[in-house]
Amino acid sequence: MNGTVVKNQLIFDFASGILGPAKSLFASTYLQLNSNASKIGSTFENLLGENLMDNENIHPKNLKYTDCIDSENSKPTSNINDPLTSFFGNLNNLNWKQVYKGFKEYTASIDDKDELKLIQMDPGVSVPLHSHGGKEYILVLEGSFCDEYGEYSKGDIQINDQKIKHTPIASRDTGCICLSITEKDVIFFGKYGSFLNLFTFIKSFFKPK
Amino acid sequence: MKKIQKDRDEMAFSQIFDFFAPKINAYFIQNRIKIESSEELTQEVLSTVWVKSNLYNSKKSALSTWIFTIARNKKIDFFRKNSKTNFKEEDIREFLYQDREVDLIEENEAKKQIERINNELDEQQKIMIKMNFFENKSHKKIADELEIPLGTVKSRIRHILTKMQGFLR
Repeated sequence: MNGTVVKNQLIFDFASGILGPAKSLFASTYLQLNSNASKIGSTFENLLGENLMDNENIHPKNLKYTDCIDSENSKPTSNINDPLTSFFGNLNNLNWKQVYKGFKEYTASIDDKDELKLIQMDPGVSVPLHSHGGKEYILVLEGSFCDEYGEYSKGDIQINDQKIKHTPIASRDTGCICLSITEKDVIFFGKYGSFLNLFTFIKSFFKPK
Repeated sequence: MKKIQKDRDEMAFSQIFDFFAPKINAYFIQNRIKIESSEELTQEVLSTVWVKSNLYNSKKSALSTWIFTIARNKKIDFFRKNSKTNFKEEDIREFLYQDREVDLIEENEAKKQIERINNELDEQQKIMIKMNFFENKSHKKIADELEIPLGTVKSRIRHILTKMQGFLR
């Protein structure tokens, strides 16, 4: 799998406006933290803007320019620059759930097929070897982690699919906080694997519809 | 645009209206929005251009890009409100689509990149980009309209994305 293509696909889909709410929040945070991604997003928006410039004309029948000047009805939007804080508030005040020692998560209540989670790992803590039922997207918000494939720090994104098995370890100095999107449940392997699989299996019954 | 920002010049606005209104209206119709709603959305987009003209920064993006993002956000909002799944008043997307202040590329840099992309892509590839990302048509629909197999559409779009990756560095 070419990871860059998948990353760009996420940015393009965001620019086109077809992502669900969970992935939209994820992508917009990614663009905010990663200047390279933001540039790609801008380039693509420029390209789509060109498409608008060259678009065919279908003239509105009942619309004059004065209609747009008179209707000063659009409500003022707050100038939120940080989508994550505006959605979650202060991360320290969240009701984090401890999954095991040194590993906490917070699942956002969003009405979407994708699950959006915050993950906090203490320095040096690792996640047991696992793979993924669907795709998993991880964005580093603070600190860093590494796995068999490399090191990921603030603003970096990792996209995993079914084929990938990995054992992420949080940085020994800083630990890490990540934002994650899971399309389907994760499958664990190894020592605690069967237990964790059972846990996610049981948990799935308590998911709010 | 400067005249609108500084002097609230209605004649200048009417020129922008005349150029963009039919194109924005077409964009909504291409995105499968019915004509009654498309005109209403077109009005909302151009009202936003008038009311929030001070938010436009010509150094950061082309006017067409700014207007495109407003139209796109209206489209998202429209589909959100009309989705059959239980619509929640509090949808996070409402506050996501702000103008990003950080790291927007300079306009001439953007122009150069778009020129490069346009030079590298052939006509069919450009049409595919437009159908896929501007009109948001499914791969199946693109295959039907261009009369080529679905697998070919998928592999060609993948190829375009890989190719574009080369320019976007």
